[in-house]
Formats: sequence, C-alpha cells, structure tokens
Amino acid sequence: MHADTQGPSDGEIVRAVLAGDRDRYALLVERYRDRYARYASRMLGSTDAADDAVQDAFVRAYDQLAQCQDPAKFVGWFFLILRNRCFAEQRKRRPHLSLEAAARVPAGQRSDDGAESAERRRALQQALMELTAEQREVFVLKHVEGLSYTEIAERLNTSVPSLKMRMHRAYDRLREQLRDHA
Amino acid sequence: MTEREFHPQVKQLLDGELTLADLPAELRDEGEEALRLLAAVDREPVSVPSVTWRVMARLERKRQRRLAWLLAPALAAAAALLVWLGRPASPVASAPGSMVTVRFVLVAPGAHQVSVAGTFNGWDPAATPLVRSGSGDMWVATLVLPSGQHQYAFVVDRARWIPDPTAPAVDDGFGRRNSVLTL
Repeated sequence: MHADTQGPSDGEIVRAVLAGDRDRYALLVERYRDRYARYASRMLGSTDAADDAVQDAFVRAYDQLAQCQDPAKFVGWFFLILRNRCFAEQRKRRPHLSLEAAARVPAGQRSDDGAESAERRRALQQALMELTAEQREVFVLKHVEGLSYTEIAERLNTSVPSLKMRMHRAYDRLREQLRDHA
Repeated sequence: MTEREFHPQVKQLLDGELTLADLPAELRDEGEEALRLLAAVDREPVSVPSVTWRVMARLERKRQRRLAWLLAPALAAAAALLVWLGRPASPVASAPGSMVTVRFVLVAPGAHQVSVAGTFNGWDPAATPLVRSGSGDMWVATLVLPSGQHQYAFVVDRARWIPDPTAPAVDDGFGRRNSVLTL
C-alpha cells in the first residue's frame, strides 16, 4: 500500500484533475485499484463486493477531490473514503462469506500445499468475518497488507497501544473460532 | 486468561516482536499453533481491471447529466454538428512515464451498444464498453494504456466490427482492418 513512484506523482495528477484535466483521474484509479481491492475484499469477504466498494470510493473521491487538502497525500485520504464505504457496507448487511478465498488459490499452489492448505485459508477467512470490523481491519492491514503498527496508527489516526489491544482481542477470537472449526 | 486466549508472549510472536526460539519451552506448541494461523493468511493479490473504465464511465455519465441540465440547448446544437464525424481515438493526456490516458470516441447513429476491442484487452468485445455521451450518438470510453503501439476496432451492437474511421489502419490478415494507435 505504498505510492507508485513511476509516472507523475499523485499530487501532480490531483492538481491536473482539479485544473480540468479530468481524464488524468484514470491514472490514479489504475494505480491504486488493485491494492485497495485486496483490502476491501478481505474486509467484505468477497471480491465482487470489493469491486463495488472500490468503484464507489473512487467516484466519491473524485466528487470531493477539492476537499483533499494535501494532494500529495491523496492515497491516505482515499483510503479513509474506502474504509468508510466498507464499514457502511458491513452495517447494512450481515457479511456472507463467499468461498472465494479457497477458490482463488491458484491451481499450482493447490498442488503444492494441498487441499488442506486451501481449507485452512478458507477457515481463517471465515473466522475473520466473525470479528468486529475494527478488529478485522487491523488484522488485514498488518497481516495481509504488511503494514507496521506505527503505519496503521498514522493511517487511522489512532495510537499503537489501542491498535495492539484490538489486535490481541482479534487473535484470541480467531483462535476460538478456528478451534471450534477444527 | 482463559485456555482459549493466546499467552501474551505468543501474541508478541504473532506481532513479529518475538521468534519461536524466544518462547519458553512450555509455550512452543502454542507458538506453533499461532504461526499456523498466520501461515493461513491469504495474501494473494486481487485484480479488478474493469474498475478503471467503470469509474471513468460513471464520472462521464454524471458529467453529462450535469451538462444536460446546464447546457441543454448548446449540447443539442453541438450534437447536430458531430453526427457525421468519426473522431479518432486520440490520446488526450500524455503522462510522463509508461502509461497514457486515452479517450476513445465514436459517433455511431442508431447504435444501442458500442465497445472497443483491441490488443490491450485481448480483443474481448465485452471488456470495454463505451458510454453514450448524453442523449446523442457519441460514445466515449477513457482508458489508461501503456505507451507503445496498439491495434483496436470498435464493436457496434456486439456484431459489427468497424475500424476507427479517422485513425490509420492495417490489415489483420483475415480480411478485416484494425486501427492503429501509437502512444
């Protein structure tokens, strides 16, 4: 979840879009859609739901682009819009876990790891969906996206100790869920 | 702490602050259980390539709606002027680096559906639909493509493959003409 250094900077693109070159916005979408779709798919339990959420977030971000106070930090600002969208989606519906997590494991990997590995992934994804959205988020950002507690704290404007508390509860709940599953 | 909660040191292991070797012997099994949990994390990338054009299409539709409200009389006049003009797929915003934003535009009177298929989307006529611009006959799509040469054609109503009327074209070897776009 780090900025792409190729091509124009985020700040340059945002300024160009605000100046009327709206087609440039496609560069930002192209740059960030996949990496944030992964976050959204783990939060929502489905790639389809993530696809919709990322789309909506980019459209909303465009509509509110003038409110992006620091264009160079577009991606952090966009992340908060996407996050709100994901949390709103969670409030609307009880998440239905799809079996995508297992289905998405590439065939080659399946032959290496076996069906057991795919089953463990599926079970963990199912257990993640039983966490609160806040607990799941910190787990996803740290263990899927590979961010440090400090980076997550900056992104969510919170403290490292409170994140750790959230995460440690998540660990316990996951253990419980996975034992029940086993 | 219940038996279902991880020991605090095992949580430090999960946080990456300790290694399995740092744990006392009595916590090793629990540590291995915790590491199995982390090994099951799905870090596979997710790809949503259609998001770019769908976002740009939604923005285009919103812009058209706004324009329609504000400039309805002027738009009507402009549409009349454009009816018989095929406009080339032309780069509208050259970006430094390897990706270029391109707007594909086709005026197709009477069409119900228009898409663009080319080397950049595997010649899939369903992959990149154009969006009707306002209520007229102009169809548009904005894509981000790598610099280099691309071949493409418009697909009208899922059946008629037509080259871009004003772009250079080459024979595809099967009796059809492909338009060529060099970025």
